[in-house]
Order: sequence, then structure tokens, then C-alpha cells
Amino acid sequence: MKLGPKAAAAALILSASLALTACGGGTPAGSGGGAAATALTLGTLRDVTSWDPAQAHVGHVLQPYQAVYDTLILREPDGKLSPMLATAWKYNTGNTKLTVDLRTDVTFSDGAKFDAEAAKANIDHFKKANGPQMAQLASVSDVSVVDADTIDINLSTPDPGLEYFLSQAAGLMGSPKALGTERIKTEPVGSGPYVMDKAATVKDSQTVFNARKDYWNKDLQKYQKLTFKILADLTARTNALVSGQVDATLLDPKTGKQAEGAKMKLAANEVDWQGLLLLDRDGAKNPALANVKVRQAINHAFDRKTILEQVMLGQGTPTSQPFGKGSGAWTQELENYYSYDPAKAKQLLKEAGFETGVTLEIPLVPNFETQISVVKQQLADVGIELKVGAALTNTFTADVAAQKFTTMYFSLFQGQPTVAIDQIVSTKALYNPFKSASPELDAKIAAVRNGGADAGKLAQEVNKYVVEQAWFAPLFRVNQMYYTNAKVNVTPQIEQAVPSIYNYSPAK
Amino acid sequence: MIRFIAKRLGSGLVVLFVVSALTFFLLYISSGSIARNILGDQATAEQVAMKEHELGLDQPLPVRYFAWVGDALTGNLGASWFTSEPVANSLATRIPVTMTMVFAAMILIAICAALIGVAAAVKRGWVDRAVQVGAILGDSIPGFVIGVILVTILAIQLGIFPATSTISPDSGAEAWVYSMTLPVIALLLNGVTGGAQQIRSAVIKQLERDYVRTLRSRGIGEGEILFKHVLRSAAPAGLTVLSLQLIGMLGGVVIIEQIFALPGMGPLAVAATGQSDLPVVMGVVMYTVVVVIVVNLLVDILNGWLNPKVRVS
Repeated sequence: MKLGPKAAAAALILSASLALTACGGGTPAGSGGGAAATALTLGTLRDVTSWDPAQAHVGHVLQPYQAVYDTLILREPDGKLSPMLATAWKYNTGNTKLTVDLRTDVTFSDGAKFDAEAAKANIDHFKKANGPQMAQLASVSDVSVVDADTIDINLSTPDPGLEYFLSQAAGLMGSPKALGTERIKTEPVGSGPYVMDKAATVKDSQTVFNARKDYWNKDLQKYQKLTFKILADLTARTNALVSGQVDATLLDPKTGKQAEGAKMKLAANEVDWQGLLLLDRDGAKNPALANVKVRQAINHAFDRKTILEQVMLGQGTPTSQPFGKGSGAWTQELENYYSYDPAKAKQLLKEAGFETGVTLEIPLVPNFETQISVVKQQLADVGIELKVGAALTNTFTADVAAQKFTTMYFSLFQGQPTVAIDQIVSTKALYNPFKSASPELDAKIAAVRNGGADAGKLAQEVNKYVVEQAWFAPLFRVNQMYYTNAKVNVTPQIEQAVPSIYNYSPAK
Repeated sequence: MIRFIAKRLGSGLVVLFVVSALTFFLLYISSGSIARNILGDQATAEQVAMKEHELGLDQPLPVRYFAWVGDALTGNLGASWFTSEPVANSLATRIPVTMTMVFAAMILIAICAALIGVAAAVKRGWVDRAVQVGAILGDSIPGFVIGVILVTILAIQLGIFPATSTISPDSGAEAWVYSMTLPVIALLLNGVTGGAQQIRSAVIKQLERDYVRTLRSRGIGEGEILFKHVLRSAAPAGLTVLSLQLIGMLGGVVIIEQIFALPGMGPLAVAATGQSDLPVVMGVVMYTVVVVIVVNLLVDILNGWLNPKVRVS
């Protein structure tokens, strides 16, 4: 069997690339093969690592937790925040204390009562459990119980993202009796619409939930049975969807064609952006990148529309800005800020004193080989040489932090203003490893952090700054291609490749 | 024979130890940022340090390795760094799936390859040519391509088999049979063609030997010559090929399990390796080494049983 080692190598590459593109590549699939309309089967790219709510993640990795845990605040498909376990919430004048009123009629599936003590226990647990989203509550100093159904969340610094975070991982409420136990890692105990069927659940294969009797909000409980089928492989997901084993799953532009041929419905949603991160803006390792004109020249080198058409089959929108439409920081003015203009690019390089050429070095990123080769060619057309180095490995986050890369081609999630700022702009951000900063930018970031409800609008200034300064060379926002069969209606969820669990309903 | 088995088992243990040490040290090199990988790209340096301490990554390498060996000797293979699931649990639920598939494929390969190979060697002519062409075709089409073709036709177009596995605790033996059929066919096709080719050569070589001529000159029937003498002498070659195929199949099955979403060792190995999830990778490697050692030992014993010459040497 000569194929053994080759097949294994291919599998390793596949897995590495899946891990690297995790932000954009979540995949739910559903398999309902002939089941009643009250059963929903969703495929997911991977199983959850732990059912402890403090270990929950963002986007598509959040979806399975929503089946079993309610959040304090509900995030509607369009991003609007609505009451859930919290009936109302209000900041004090300095935005340093959030007072949250809680429901009084909710119990957990183990019988424990949901109240202010339970909410406090969850937030305290989240803050010390060292989960992947622990940063969501970094600004929270402590929680105090005001009365049985009210808590005060005290902040050390204002955080305009807090209410949003309470609709995400940080807002998931587990039974206080189960928090911190070994058991909750494999068997979730929440107040949510579904309860895990432990006997039918197999790690990394399928997770089965049944509707919880007497769930407090029947509007959010639309199925009797909910199954997550774990289908890591894109081909397997496509086959499972078109053969009717799953009701919904995340595909890509190419496999999407096959699904459309089988009459599957598409719910497209822009969640990530792709492009170059010009990281070494102070020229520590590549002096050319310190010159803003060089960075702008790079931006003018790309025919974004054609690249999108050719590489992504047109599934997305060309853009020059890294902030997403749902963040409030997005502006029409910045959308096509850098036109495709090779002559201008060459002119800018000349003005910068680099007409003899600039060399950029980037690591190869699995799954983005095509994009990188197109980028390389278009940069060469304006006199910039792109040297593509070794492929990213699973040490890539540490490599980024260690300033190993001066430039990268990558796909990144577009989050809320403070999330995006701490992902790519601020000096805390992983994708600002050279700690680029300026007093002007610091002031703009501070304005966002203290901006409360105006944070999104204030973040437009941050967006404008990084676009004008050409910190990045974004190419396009990418469509996440979520497909469902005729039995399911689904509403896409803003900033999520995979809709929230509440967004599915049986087709009439 | 017992001494022989004891000797092979002893060398197997040495191999197991060496491979475990090598794997551990190699993974150590790439596990530098494991804590950050677990926590994601928004983790702070303090969080990373806390996680490293929690996983014992702040301990020196030899300390960690011998702690692992000590635990492993008492049957404790540790727990996944990413999911906290005990490695022994992961292996216990996944080995049956993979082994069922591999052994079903191997038994079918052994039967089909032997029948076809012997037929080709004895009949020659068009049968032989067909086997030769089949071997080339089989070698040139990867199992996963066959798998995708099978799914497209038999699962999606005709709906006879499920496109991906339906094996679950609440499903019966029927689900196993239905879910395993396509993967097993995808696995066995090039095994059959390759195996038949090897068995054909071995049988032809034996048929050309002097002892066969002598047997024929003594008037012994072709059937008896073939089954009593030639096949016995040709068996070691066939067994060796089959054992190599089985070991190779442990790699091939990885992709097949991904395509069919079978909850076997493949997806576990792929995920764990991609993430440098050291405890799980160690478990997977130990399993693989044990399978290889056991298969080789069984082949040696079978060879000795079939062929007295091997026992003497």
C-alpha cells in the first residue's frame, strides 16, 4: 500500500490548514435523513473541547453551547442586543458599573435556581478558568449581588464591548452546582433550550440534544431533537448535505456549486477579511515597510475585484478596510480607498525612494496558496518582489508574537470595534507584534474604549487611520457559504460563519 | 518456538520504548506554543504562563518524559491537552472502528488476492494480463479517490449506502455494515490488485522450481502439487505482502475515515498531530507500534506453521 505515508502527509497538511483557518472555516452540518421536521441535524467542523461554559469560544464554536446554555443577553441575527436571562441592564454615568436585572423564573437542568448568586458564580468562574475568551471579561474587576435578581458588574476601565460579551462566551450561564466539576467538561448543565443525551453522544462524532421540558422561552426552542454531527472534512460535509444526512452545513465556493446543483439553499454572510498584514510598520526588519508610501503602493497594486472573481468565484466584496460592516466602524468612503492603479503604485515607490524595488517576505499559509501566488504576481507587476517562505505550522501564533513575520497573508475575523482593535490595532493585539503605535492613534483608541454606545462610530476614526496609513492591504471580505436543505429555514447571524442556534426553524 | 516468540516480543518492547522517546522529543520541539494554541489568539502572556504551568510544560523535558512513561506503565496514558478527555477513553472508542474496517478489508484482500493471484499464475493468458493491468491501475488510483467515486455513485446518486458514517451508540449492527461497506471497498481495491500481483509472481516462481518438475515426473496431480507444495512455499511471500499492506493501511485509513466521517483513529490522529496534542499523539503512536509489532509477530508465527524451513532457520 504505497499510499499510506502520502495519505498521512496529506491528512496532516489538511489538519494544519483547518486549524489555521479556524476563524473562518467553521462548519455545521445537519443530518436528518428522513427524520421528523422537529429534528434538526447540524454538522460542525469539530467537537467542543470542553462543555465548561468558561471554555466556550466565538462564532461557530459558540453555537453548540447555545443549545444548552442561555446567555445573559441575546444577540439578534442583526446584532441587536435583547433581554434573555437579563431582563434589563444599565451603566452608571462613568460606564464603570453595569447593573443587570435578572429573570426570576429560570432553573438549570439539574434543578438549581438561576439567580444573582448563580450569575455571579458564573462570571467569577469565567474570570479564573483561563478559557480561550477570558479576555472578554478582562475589564471586569468584580461582581456584587445587589438582591436576589440584580447584580452589579464593576469595571476597572470602561469597556464598550461588555454588553456584547455578555451575549457571547462570557454570558453563558451554567449551573452553579456543576461549575468547576470534572463532570461539566463532558456533560453540560445549563438552563438552555436543550439537554444533552449523554448515551447517544460520542466524542468527536456526534452530540445529541433533546428539547428541555418546561423551558422558559418556547420561542427559542423550535426542535424536539438537535444533533451536531462532527464532519471535519469538507468533502464529507458536502456529501452528507446533498445526500440528506445533514440539514445544514458550511461549505466553500467550490463545493457550494455542488450543493446548489442538489437544490440546497445558500445563506451567505461576510464574516472575515483576507489580505496582507503589513506588520513591520516601523521597519525594524524590513526598512521599506516603514515608509507609508511603500505600504500605500502595495495597496494600489491589487486588482481586488478580479482576484475575488478568479479565486473565490466572486463570493465576497472587494474592500480596502479591515473593519467589518457589523462593527459600526465601517464606512463607504474607505471601501474602495485604494483603487487598482499600478502606475500610481510605481509612482509612490519612486517618491519613497524605492523605485529599484522592494522585497517582502511572507510565510506560506495552507489553503491560501492560490491567493498568495496571485498577490505575488500583481506585486511583481509594480516592482515589488514577494518571497514566499516556509508554511505556517501549529506554532504560528507564537511565531507571530515573536515578530517572525514582517508581512503575512491571512484571513481574519471582523469583530466588534474593541474586539477588532485588540486583535489587529492596539499594542495588545497579536496581529500588531511590532507594537506599532502613535499618540494620534492612541487617542482615537482611547476614545473608542470610553465611548460607550458611540464606540462603533468613534472606531471609524481608528479604521480611517489604519487605512490611510496602510497598516494592511485588505483585498476582500469573504462570504461564508452556509447551506441548508429545503426542510430548514435559517437566518444568517452577523459576524458568525454559522448562525446562532435560535436562527433555525422548520420550513413550513 | 516459545523462545522465538519471547525474543520477538522483547525486541518489540525495545522498539516501543525507542519510538515513544523519539515521538515525545520530536513533539516537544513543536509544542513550544501549545498553551497559546489552546487559549487562542487573544490570550495574554499571563494566561499562557498559567496554562503552561497547568500542563506541566514548565518542567524539564526528561522529567516530563519519564513522568509519562511511569504513568503509561500503570495504564494511565494521560488526557488530551485540548479536550481533557482521557486518552485511554479516546482509544477505546476509536480502535474498534478502525480495526473492524482494517481487518474486514484485510480478510477480503487475502481471499481475493490469493484466488486471483493463483488463477493468474496457473492459467496465464488473458487472466494473467488482466491481473497485471489491474495491478497498475490499482497502484495508480489512490483509495480516497475510489472512496469519493463510490460515494458519488452509490450514496448520493443511488442512495444505497450512507454518504458518511451513521455509527452511533443507538444504532445497531446494521449501521456498522452499511457505514463500513464503502470505506472497506475503497481500502481494499488496490490491496487486492497489488496483493494478487505479488502472489502471482511467487506462485510462478515456485511452479518453475525443480521440485515441481520432479513431482510432476512422479505422476502427482497438478492439484496436489499446487495446493500441497507450491502454495506452502509461496505463502511466506504472500503473507509478507499482506502484512505490509495491513501496516500501510493504518496510514491509508486516515484519509478514508475523514472522507466517510468514521469515528476511528484517523480523525483523532490528524487532529492531535495538527495541534501537537502530545498525550493523544503518544497514545496513537503507541497503538500503531503495538499493531505493527503484533502483526509482524503473527506473520512470523504463521510462516513458521506453514513452512517448516522458516522454523529451522
